[in-house]
Amino acid sequence: MTPSSSFRPAVEGREAAGVARGLSGEPIDMVGMLAGAHHPGAGAVVLFSGEVRDNNRGRPVSFLEYEAYGPLAEKMIGEILAEAKSRWVLQTAVAQHRTGIVAVGDTAVVVITASAHRGEAYAANRYIIDRIKHEAPIWKCEHYADGTHEWGNNCNCHAVTGDVSKHIYESEG
Amino acid sequence: MKIHVYAGLKDYFEPEFEVEGEARNTDELKTLLVAINGKAEAMLSSCRFAVEEGFIDNAYKLKSHDTIVIIPPSSGG
Repeated sequence: MTPSSSFRPAVEGREAAGVARGLSGEPIDMVGMLAGAHHPGAGAVVLFSGEVRDNNRGRPVSFLEYEAYGPLAEKMIGEILAEAKSRWVLQTAVAQHRTGIVAVGDTAVVVITASAHRGEAYAANRYIIDRIKHEAPIWKCEHYADGTHEWGNNCNCHAVTGDVSKHIYESEG
Repeated sequence: MKIHVYAGLKDYFEPEFEVEGEARNTDELKTLLVAINGKAEAMLSSCRFAVEEGFIDNAYKLKSHDTIVIIPPSSGG
């Protein structure tokens, strides 16, 4: 039997070119990102997809709109990925976040990590998405079925830490 | 100095505008902005500030030609 491998040496190239990380005004190519994330040294690949719910705090949601301070958001996502790679041994760490209008059920953000073992891949993935959600200058606006809208204000860590630059990382929906 | 605001702050200010008056640091800038629209005070207290794609704190000395980006708490994902 001929060994097969889905390893694509272009993974690092994709990262270097910024293709699979940062911001996108177009639908995220999650399948393409995953296809590029495989690595012969990685026994675990973890993919997180943040998707648009049809409700928020009991109110029907029609769609979400994401806005970003682009230059800084791109820079910070790159730094967060680099920091993750310095904390864990990762063969792959990529992330991409949508901007613009995202429909219910569509993907708003994808984070993929690959490592030798699942523990590192899971931990790094969680670290990356938590930091992106809390720190990167990206905002979502809930557009409700009744025609109203509301800008999200998910990160209220400063209420606990007393510092708008300090965050606590806990599970968020 | 030029101001850019994002997300919920756009409910209180134009996305881009200029402020008149002197603000030597971010605290003084907040005071100027609250004078423009007092309803923004609570949100401004939880915002970060950035100049030239880098965050600044109150120790940074604002310059008249600075373009200041005011960044509400993130809510991506």
